[in-house]
Amino acid sequence: MSGAPAIVILSLLQLLLLLASAPLISGIIAKTKARFQHRQGAGILQPYFDLAKLLRKEVLVSPVASWVFRSTPYLVFASTLVIALLVPTVVVPVPLDWVGDIITVIYLFALGRFFVALAGLDTGSAFGGLGASREMSIASIIEPAMMLAIFTAAVTAGSTNLSVIVATLSSTPASMLNPAHLLAFSGLFIVTMAETGRVPVDNPDTHLELTMIHEAMILEYSGRYLAFIEWSSQMKLAIFLALLSNMFFPLGMATTLAPWALCVGCAAFFAKVIVLAAIVAVVESTNAKLRLFRVPELLMVAFILSLLALILYFIVGA
Amino acid sequence: MSAILFALLLGLPVTGTLLCAVFHTRRVLETITVICAGLTFLSALWLVTTVTQSGALNPGQGWLYADGLSAYVAAIVTGSALVVALYSTGYLRRQVRRRHVDGGQLWLYYLLLNAFLFTMMVVLLSNNLGVLWIGSEATTLATAFLVAFYERESSIEAAWKYVIICSVGIALALFGIILTYFSALHVVPASGNALNWSSLMLVAGGLDPGVLKLAFIFVLVGFGTKAGLAPMHTWKPDAYGEAPAPISALMAAGLVNVALYSLIRFYILVNKAVGGSFAPTLFIIFGLVSMGVAVPFILIQRDFKRLLAYSSVEHVGIIVFALGLGTPLAYFGALLHLLNNAIAKTLLFLTASNVRMAYNSKIMRKVTGAIKVIPVSATFLIAGVFAITGWPPFGVFVSEFAIVSAGFAGGNVVPTVFFIGFIAAIFAGFIYYTSRMVFGEPHPGIKGGDADTLSLLLLGLLLTALLVLGVFVPPPLQQCIETALTVLKG
Amino acid sequence: MDPTNLQTVGLLIDILAAAILVTAFLVVSSRSLVFYIRLFALQSFFLGAVALLVVLGYGETHILIAAVLTIAIKAIAIPVVLSRVIERIHVRKEVDFSINIPASLLLCGGMVILADSVAHSILGAQRADAPAVSRVLSVSIAMMLIGLFIMTTRKKAITQIVGLLTMENGVFLSGLSITYGMPLIVEVGIFFDILVAVLILGVFIFRINKTFESISIDSLRGLRE
Repeated sequence: MSGAPAIVILSLLQLLLLLASAPLISGIIAKTKARFQHRQGAGILQPYFDLAKLLRKEVLVSPVASWVFRSTPYLVFASTLVIALLVPTVVVPVPLDWVGDIITVIYLFALGRFFVALAGLDTGSAFGGLGASREMSIASIIEPAMMLAIFTAAVTAGSTNLSVIVATLSSTPASMLNPAHLLAFSGLFIVTMAETGRVPVDNPDTHLELTMIHEAMILEYSGRYLAFIEWSSQMKLAIFLALLSNMFFPLGMATTLAPWALCVGCAAFFAKVIVLAAIVAVVESTNAKLRLFRVPELLMVAFILSLLALILYFIVGA
Repeated sequence: MSAILFALLLGLPVTGTLLCAVFHTRRVLETITVICAGLTFLSALWLVTTVTQSGALNPGQGWLYADGLSAYVAAIVTGSALVVALYSTGYLRRQVRRRHVDGGQLWLYYLLLNAFLFTMMVVLLSNNLGVLWIGSEATTLATAFLVAFYERESSIEAAWKYVIICSVGIALALFGIILTYFSALHVVPASGNALNWSSLMLVAGGLDPGVLKLAFIFVLVGFGTKAGLAPMHTWKPDAYGEAPAPISALMAAGLVNVALYSLIRFYILVNKAVGGSFAPTLFIIFGLVSMGVAVPFILIQRDFKRLLAYSSVEHVGIIVFALGLGTPLAYFGALLHLLNNAIAKTLLFLTASNVRMAYNSKIMRKVTGAIKVIPVSATFLIAGVFAITGWPPFGVFVSEFAIVSAGFAGGNVVPTVFFIGFIAAIFAGFIYYTSRMVFGEPHPGIKGGDADTLSLLLLGLLLTALLVLGVFVPPPLQQCIETALTVLKG
Repeated sequence: MDPTNLQTVGLLIDILAAAILVTAFLVVSSRSLVFYIRLFALQSFFLGAVALLVVLGYGETHILIAAVLTIAIKAIAIPVVLSRVIERIHVRKEVDFSINIPASLLLCGGMVILADSVAHSILGAQRADAPAVSRVLSVSIAMMLIGLFIMTTRKKAITQIVGLLTMENGVFLSGLSITYGMPLIVEVGIFFDILVAVLILGVFIFRINKTFESISIDSLRGLRE
């Protein structure tokens, strides 16, 4: 199997995989958190039902909102879909790896964030503006930290191409335990918690006006708009978990298109992502949300971890 | 024979410490301390004669080692320890009488005084640079509670700063020692000996010069902190000001010389291994900076013990500067100055203690007309001030004169002019303050009362020694310094 | 020891060194005195583990005692003493800063870079054929700098002790990395000195607390010109 049709089929499969599994991952995290609080909690399939319900519901739009508000859900969803095509999940090299590298991924996320923030301002609601300003100020610290963490991996591989990074790492499994690598992983993990609005930074489950960040921006959305935004967020989480697991521990990834290798790759992907999701849930359950002005300190820790990773790479060598 | 000497020099202070730990009676504690200090001093003199006659003791691979330099410094240190021990008896009796000190504190004082002497002897007699480090840190720890002795707010503050700053400094010195060890690992045959000064000197040419230079910077900062070189001197006025006067005296006369001794050891090693002007230049710079930093603080000083502390910073600067000049005459001046400064500082700190006892204050503004209140001590004070500021016919003048002539002869004209300028400014400050303390009318209500006769006799002895040293250098001392000089030349 | 095992030891030492460095940074980012002490204990434990690895990997048996002492004294005894001290004195167990946390972390990051360049100049030409453990030298110098930084910018008496001990840990690590530690007697003497120093400083903290009713070193400013 090779050539254009193969690329198209594989890319579609990957897209479907992330689209379909993203709500499931959120469901798993929610369920684990519920169990930590000694609650039964909703089933792990609940996010699918929620999305289905939202897609059927009527859309209400504030009369002062402009085209920005209306187009943002589609823009965000589309940019997330493009990222889903670039991120290595089951097989390396990713079929469309020539389209863009890790920097493209970072900028596509930034594009989505930009429009969500604009949309938050667009409705004229006080909460939207509050959420937008908080989101952007936090982002200004997250992004450098994320860049540094990713650069550590990129420097090790000598390339910013995700597939090359993964392939290089797979060929030298010992360097997965390299301290630089481990630190960059921890840095990126904190970045993930912040980017996806998880507990020490933001709480995805509440709409408490004093603390909310992400939820404040999308407070005015309803119906299918909200469904697309929620789905994008869930995919963002899935993509980050995929990056964390595959950029740092590319164990079991398929390197050929043999059916057996693909099955192993799929199983490995789900195993790693579920483990990470469980860790996210544990971290969320065992930590209290930070006061807003403490958040930069946590993100600074992420930044420093990534910086240390990069320095250690030069000290210790890969 | 060398075994006996080492056993005496280290064993006597240990015995003193242990005995003091057991007994609690004042008279017994006094006797033990004075006898142990006296015997240690005699042993040190014996060490000096042995070393001058038959060369370095134990120059092999052992842990202990003594040559002309260590014997000379050991004699100075134990000598001032003896004077301080004798003075302490009278001092503490007065303090107990005035209820400033209770029995427990008395016991702690004598215990730690003996321990302090022991730690200094460890530094002076160790061959291994690691052991030298351990001894140096231990001197800080032994004196920590002595600085905090009076449990005032200010003395606790001073003790805290003292321990913290000196420990940081000495930690940096340890890194310097590790680097020295590293530079020697590949050239010294048995790696266990790579920290021994005597082994290091044998292979100095093979040490890695780059690493050794870095090591020297760390060692200079580290032991410079202990010696009180500017800008690492900040603990000194606080600690000297707050410690009981006899302890300040022993720190200024003993501890400073021990720290300088450690510095000199590394200085010799680095000069031999690296050569050139690397270490001498650093010494000249640090020496002049220390002297320069002392000037403004001496000119604006209110407290006479702190005044003496800054004078100590100045004199450490003078010695380091002289060592940096690097000519035999300068070395001679530096070594002689170790002794002169020790005697003059002991004299001044102990006299200051008499003044303080009489006036119940160490603020100079409150002390006037001392010549009428305590005539004997006031005479010692004014004579001591002339001595420490380098006036003839006192010993300090001779050593400073030697250093200045060495400076001009060696072509270091500009630094030497600065040197003279600083000394002149410091002299002005000292004379301004002490003349106001000694002359004029005493404030009404000063009870006065001078120290006991033994203490005054001791001070007279110190002053006589300074006068003798100002006229000529006695032949045995000359010989002793020359032996130390051969060590310095490498 | 055969080369693959040696490589494993090298890798483990690298990981532990990174962990030590991270604990130092966590100390800098921490606000609670209790965390300061726990992180220091953890750091000392990692340090002891590095020493044990040096014993295993390079056959330097004399370090064994130093390793045991590191864990016994620095990872257990000293933290216990310090915890007792802050339990006994009922003070606010929060750290005061003169430089805020983000700026502190950035400065310390810069110090690591500086430390690495110093370490390069020390190892010089020997770097190529030096054993794996010498790579840790950069980390050890960084620890000394961070320890100094903690001492100068954190204003509680306890934090000064932790800073000093962090520095000491750095010095010990530097000894391990370039000289496989000092001769045994010297190491034992150093440990003794450190333990006594901590005990003395602990007593002083009680006295400072009694006299000033605070252990902030801001209250220690009576002595100036």
